[in-house]
Amino acid sequence: IHSLATYISPMHSLSARNSTAHRKAFPVLSFNYEYVRKPFEISLWILLALLMKLGFHVIPRVSHVVPESCLLIFVGLLVGGVIKAIRQTAPVLDTDLFFLYLLPPIILDAGYFLPIRPFTENLGTILVFAVVGTLWNAFFVGGAMYGVCQLEGGQLRGVDLLSCLLFGSIVSAVDPVAVLAVFEEIHINELLYILVFGESLLNDAVTVVLYHLFEEFSHAGVVTVADALLGGLCFFVVSCGGILVGAIYGLLGAFTSRFTSHTRVIEPLFVFLYSYMAYLSAEVFHLSGIMSLIACGVVMRPYVEANISHKSYTTVKYFLKMWSSVSETLIFIFLGVSTVAGPHAWNWTFVIVTVVLCLVSRVLGVVGLTFVINKFRIVKLTKKDQFIVAYGGLRGAIAFSLGFLLTGNKMKDLFLTAIITLIFFTVFVQGMTIRPLVELLEVKKKRECDGSINEEIHTQFLDHLLVGIEDICGHYGHHHWKDKLSRFNKAYVKKWLIAGDRSTEPQLLSFYNKMEMKQAMMMVESGGAPSRRKTVISKSREMEVRKMLHSNMQKNRQRLRSYSRHDLMMDPFEDDVSEVRFRKQRVEMERRMSHYLTVPAKRPEPPPSVRRVTEITSVDGRKFKVSAELIFYCCVWSVTLWLF
Amino acid sequence: MGSRASTLLREEEIEEIKKETGFSHSQITRLYSRFTSLDKGENGTLSREDFQRIPELAINPLGDRIINAFFPEGEDQVNFRGFMRTLAHFRPIEDSEKNKNTSTSEPLNSRTNKLLFAFRLYDLDRDDKISRDELLQVLRMMVGVNISDEQLGSIADRTIQEADTNGDSSISFNEFIKVLEKVDVEQKMSIRFLH
Repeated sequence: IHSLATYISPMHSLSARNSTAHRKAFPVLSFNYEYVRKPFEISLWILLALLMKLGFHVIPRVSHVVPESCLLIFVGLLVGGVIKAIRQTAPVLDTDLFFLYLLPPIILDAGYFLPIRPFTENLGTILVFAVVGTLWNAFFVGGAMYGVCQLEGGQLRGVDLLSCLLFGSIVSAVDPVAVLAVFEEIHINELLYILVFGESLLNDAVTVVLYHLFEEFSHAGVVTVADALLGGLCFFVVSCGGILVGAIYGLLGAFTSRFTSHTRVIEPLFVFLYSYMAYLSAEVFHLSGIMSLIACGVVMRPYVEANISHKSYTTVKYFLKMWSSVSETLIFIFLGVSTVAGPHAWNWTFVIVTVVLCLVSRVLGVVGLTFVINKFRIVKLTKKDQFIVAYGGLRGAIAFSLGFLLTGNKMKDLFLTAIITLIFFTVFVQGMTIRPLVELLEVKKKRECDGSINEEIHTQFLDHLLVGIEDICGHYGHHHWKDKLSRFNKAYVKKWLIAGDRSTEPQLLSFYNKMEMKQAMMMVESGGAPSRRKTVISKSREMEVRKMLHSNMQKNRQRLRSYSRHDLMMDPFEDDVSEVRFRKQRVEMERRMSHYLTVPAKRPEPPPSVRRVTEITSVDGRKFKVSAELIFYCCVWSVTLWLF
Repeated sequence: MGSRASTLLREEEIEEIKKETGFSHSQITRLYSRFTSLDKGENGTLSREDFQRIPELAINPLGDRIINAFFPEGEDQVNFRGFMRTLAHFRPIEDSEKNKNTSTSEPLNSRTNKLLFAFRLYDLDRDDKISRDELLQVLRMMVGVNISDEQLGSIADRTIQEADTNGDSSISFNEFIKVLEKVDVEQKMSIRFLH
């Protein structure tokens, strides 16, 4: 949006003229567009993009067949065409705009809500696909392209090997934005989703290194072995460095969230800002910003969620979803606009060969790698899985922006055209056909229900069981290390990063509480008793439950004075079981709701109208609190000092 | 050293174990060397103390139950056959085995048998039902001391309520299977014994 259209405001001259003319009455209504031009146009673009998105869902038939990304690109094409027709200069998907503003929200949204368990279970597979697969793609496409260019002769003869390899590295990477946009709509099963999506995230490091490597070399002209080795080293630095930066910011964010109990309204901002800073800091050193962002989100999440209130959690969730949705919409529309606007150098051979080569190399790469990987996997990848992984390798806006970044390269227009065609092909053809193919091949879909408490308990049970068996066998496998990490986490890390009692709360309890909360909310929305309480509660049990509720209600009264509904006392002589059951549920629900909406931990909080520091009863507790605050402030100051 | 020779594994034994459990030759020998390293008494069988000597097992909340699972009903010693028989439950399911419609008895590492093993760890009194008390015991072992009894009780109640389909306030084996049908048991309950 930096290079926006230059509107000539006719009104401007009019108002100028008016002021120099004869003295007239005070202007009641005046017109000054220049003042608000930039934010106005930005807002207008975003608004129009979102209205488009809205429009698609109003027309149900279209949105079933065509994925949203295709429709948005199409709209972008139309808008670009319109702008070109009225001969204005269209806003182009500027690289800065893309990498600094549009990409981070999407990645943060994906990283924060990354399903950790399937990700870590399949990490080996994902890494192999991301690193080896992308390298294979880049070299195969680059090399074969070079061969084709030499064979073809004519205008392509000028494309040298390094340029081809550079081009290969740009088009080889699977794009997370496109993958997300398409896979989210087809609701595929978790394993395939995490394989393709994880690959698209982790291959960022490879892409960054290859891109910079080949760009440097294409200026220098010649590659030595030392350079290649340095490139390999660079890869490790980029990826591990990115993860490290992200993890540091994540820990800082978690630590900060420990102290936000008195200023709950700004809690979500900490999450966003720390993550964004992680991204930017990584970009400063040319480390992988995407991996940094993912690492930050993953590290921060368990601790932040234990610390922040339920409302803040909802805010974080919805803001992330909102921003990523807006970003995605804008990216696809701009892709369409830039296609129409940009300079093109169309070469049939080059473009067609690019598309074919990318497909071929993807299929070969996936099949070959799966053959090797399956030897090490417990649950093998079937042919169907391989097909979906290969077919889901979509290219997107990252490739486009990287191509746009190419400066001083005389092949830029040629490359850009090919990249755009490739993106269009993958998003339109593959994106549209993947849904019927998934149906046709009867690929397993995502299971619909949320986790039940049974699954949670039994999964934990099986984890312990497997760790035990592994220890008996003397086999230090996946479960062993996971168990060690969680013990370390529980013993040391949680104490520092989670406030109050929550630090010792077992995972099972937090899961159970979340479930109860969800059920309570659902009961409120449906406005009545749930349908499944079929077993009759025995009298003694009922008494037990009432006693427990009564004692809990006492605690409740101390906590929230303003809430008057808890005066609903239960009449112990009430004989009608169903009425009592309903009341018990209602009281229980209210208790839970009031408990969980504002207070994350079971500690006494002052009433909301009075802001004062919670008194800590034990002396040791106070000392600990003071020193923790001190450390926190020191950190903040040191960070500020470092920044300036 | 002389007593060691009598406990060396004979080829016929290896073949028998292979047929019964499905482990490969190298896996069996490797696990045999682990067996002998645990067997401090060098009498060809393991006792409960041998297992308890493994340090990580002591801090495992389910440690005792896992150890008990190795010992058949009422016995205090387990030989190598029994050891392997229990471990066979955790062998990954091969693709070739998955599609076989066996009329013979199911292999030890089939999904049902894996789940049966886990079920037996809950169900100590072997009445084919996980009662509320048994569930509470397991939960208490897993979550430690930081939850009050009432909370644990409500978690247990909810668990049973979710799983129980025939209204007997306990979880039978079939209900157990049903609840875990969405969990990838083949992967969760398998150890990659390196060959």
